[in-house]
Amino acid sequence: MNPIVKFCGMRSFEDYQKAVSTEASMIGFIFAPSKRQVKAADVSEWTRAKPYKAHQQLVGVFVNESVDKMVQQSIEAGLHIVQCHGSETIEEVTAVKKGTGALVYKTIHHHEGALEEMRQYRDIADGFVVDTKTQDAWGGTGVTFDWQAIPKYTEEANRQNVPCLIAGGVTVDNLAKLQRYRPLGIDVSSGIESDEKKDERKMMAMTKAVNNTYQAPDYLGRFGPFGGKYVPETLMFALEELEKAYESIRHDEEFARQLHKELKEYSGRPTALTHAERLSDHYGGATIYLKREDLNHTGAHKINNALAQGLLAKKMGKTQIIAETGAGQHGVASATVAARFGMSCKVFMGAEDIRRQELNVFRMRLLGAEVIEVHSGGKTLKDATNEAIRHWVANVHDTFYLIGSVVGPHPYPMMVRDFQSIIGEESKKQMNERIGKLPDEIVACVGGGSNAMGMFYPFINDDVKLTGIEAAGKGTETPEHAATLTKGRKGVLHGSLSYLLQDEDGNIIEPYSISAGLDYPGIGPEHAHLRDIGRVKYEAVTDDEAMAALQDLCQFEGILPAIETAHALAYVKQNAQRMSKDQVLLVCLSGRGDKDVHTIQQVLGGDNQ
Amino acid sequence: MNKLTEERFQKKENRFVPYIMSCHPTYEASIEIALTLQEAGVDAIEWGVPFSDPLADGPVIQQAGDRARKAGGSLRKALEGMKEARQQGLQAPVVLFTYVNPVLSVGFEKVIEGMKEAEIDGILIPDLPFEESEELRKLCNEAGISLISLIAPSSSHRMEKISRLGDGFLYYVTSLGVTGTRQSFSDQISHSINELKKTATVPVLAGFGISTRDQVRHFQSIADGVIVGSALVRFIGEREQALLSENESKEALKEIKEFVQELIS
Repeated sequence: MNPIVKFCGMRSFEDYQKAVSTEASMIGFIFAPSKRQVKAADVSEWTRAKPYKAHQQLVGVFVNESVDKMVQQSIEAGLHIVQCHGSETIEEVTAVKKGTGALVYKTIHHHEGALEEMRQYRDIADGFVVDTKTQDAWGGTGVTFDWQAIPKYTEEANRQNVPCLIAGGVTVDNLAKLQRYRPLGIDVSSGIESDEKKDERKMMAMTKAVNNTYQAPDYLGRFGPFGGKYVPETLMFALEELEKAYESIRHDEEFARQLHKELKEYSGRPTALTHAERLSDHYGGATIYLKREDLNHTGAHKINNALAQGLLAKKMGKTQIIAETGAGQHGVASATVAARFGMSCKVFMGAEDIRRQELNVFRMRLLGAEVIEVHSGGKTLKDATNEAIRHWVANVHDTFYLIGSVVGPHPYPMMVRDFQSIIGEESKKQMNERIGKLPDEIVACVGGGSNAMGMFYPFINDDVKLTGIEAAGKGTETPEHAATLTKGRKGVLHGSLSYLLQDEDGNIIEPYSISAGLDYPGIGPEHAHLRDIGRVKYEAVTDDEAMAALQDLCQFEGILPAIETAHALAYVKQNAQRMSKDQVLLVCLSGRGDKDVHTIQQVLGGDNQ
Repeated sequence: MNKLTEERFQKKENRFVPYIMSCHPTYEASIEIALTLQEAGVDAIEWGVPFSDPLADGPVIQQAGDRARKAGGSLRKALEGMKEARQQGLQAPVVLFTYVNPVLSVGFEKVIEGMKEAEIDGILIPDLPFEESEELRKLCNEAGISLISLIAPSSSHRMEKISRLGDGFLYYVTSLGVTGTRQSFSDQISHSINELKKTATVPVLAGFGISTRDQVRHFQSIADGVIVGSALVRFIGEREQALLSENESKEALKEIKEFVQELIS
């Protein structure tokens, strides 16, 4: 549910009119001495001249006023809610309720005993406003309090089954941060003003942001029920340290500048947006565009995240990077970044994968990385990840764990998503420049899900259909697949709660796909959430379907895609004809297929000779 | 009745708590080993649940888990096995040591129910840190089962809030990294354990890497007791064939008993 929005401190008929025209559900007036003070008679006149909307409620704010005056003014102004903003007693609040028949909200000023105070008004207050406590003013100062405390207030309000609004310094700029604490409502006054007047644009921006913003994860790293931090206590410290470091660079201009420079001058961004004309004609239907992440340095989107995390590691003063890898692509990206930034690098890789991906192992070693062979479990990506985490636990002081996908404990899924969002942001800009509109549908392949998350996230509030493609291997009706969302159950692996391929005892099942980058038994927690809330649709395609689509792209566009990417292309092959020519289908071409030539040759050898 | 919270365990000195894996090497053998540990005079037993991806464990316990799974080991089997061990006379307090995914797979309520039936006194889930444990903590409280918390040398400011909710005992992780034997330990550990003991309302047991008699003595002098896992699990693993043989199993169990008595002595 979207939080309640209360716009408070209307000083004039103009202010009031602006508030009525927004989607705010509460409109507040100050009856206490303040620069925003108004008279009950004015409010009554304004509401006669411009009736508020049916769902809107009028709120009057009083500070230590006598019960009689509160009752009298409330009735005169036609208030729905009386907000007792001072140190009104339980008896006074009860009397106002009786005298007016209106609802009474109690303001709690955030301090150590605030929660206890809130409990005292149980069954008496019809709602709460939590505001900043300042020495010489009863709130309304535009100063925020420590929002970490919000969940406790929300929990108490939920227990009492009443609303609880957060006030104090809320602005359009800090709203996104506030929403991570999931307030039940927000109360804004100075944050929607410019030059002492209510600013319509700020009001609109705020209601739009509240009503239309997909907000995840919350402050605990949860995407709905998914995500979280399921790691041993020995790692909690490292995750907290990482979270703090990430928050400090998230909006830091200097960091953004450095990263932008690396992405542009080292990796070659922005990557091209290619109109696949011949492929579109061949499939007959949608106009197909390709976002060319294959043109990145090292040949895939993985470098976007590796560069960003590498910079962050450096900033945190870490000297060693560790990474896990399945097919070797993320290992290569990590080794590349370590070389670029002058750090040492250990890549954990399952013995089985090392055997299958000989060339990438050589490539990583060439780049100066140490490849550590993992012999536990099934000796593949899942086991390499276990081993990397174990190594991290023991070497947390100087080691940065560079996770390659939107998986792992919080903050990794959020951080990797943010670092990969450059894919979607560029696409959005390029689409607008090229065709003057957004695509109708976007499709991306999903293993852990980092290219898909990076592509989807900037479009999440837009009217664009989003589709993720999992690997069905030899078919989801066989045991050999990696279709986590299609066939998995909720569970915890590698630090977060998501969907997992597992047996009835909760042991993880080894997945299968022809594509080494998609055979992961889990999936990023945000994908699990987006599936469950219906925002993204997920389908699975088989090895054979992917290989057929791979050949099409080679033959009609002269582009050899990675086998992972070919899964997204297989969906395009099957669905493009259902769309019309004026509809645009955008594909995230996550990587190039040079690394797969050997596999492709083995599969297609017979046909193509 | 929760035997961890009873005076006998709470007031004991130099507690010694071994870890063994259920169904390792087989269902029956692990029950007999549990009974043998009781004879050896241990103060409680950690009863491990095999899992495919034991993040906090080293190779010894992971391999024992793989072996146990081949022998049919699982969370359900661990509960069933302990119920049987109780019927055969096991009195010592028991802590179920399991990763969170098997618990989620069976369901919190069902696991608690099974624990009550098997008279298991506590549960320790290494990958369920404080922040994620609220729901289970509530259920454990209602069922009178201790939810054992881990505390690490790196816990720093988290130490106080974790120790405040300590139940049964607190498990102090004596070295960063995974379970497994160690040559040496950091000096800071003893300082950190002393700090923890000041705020803790339950005994503080030290574990992770403790494998020799000297290490046991050392940590018993600092903490309220020790936990030994990998060293014992390896010792058991080395006697797998003997434990499975009708003629030799008695001798193997005797050796296990002597091994533990030597550690305690």
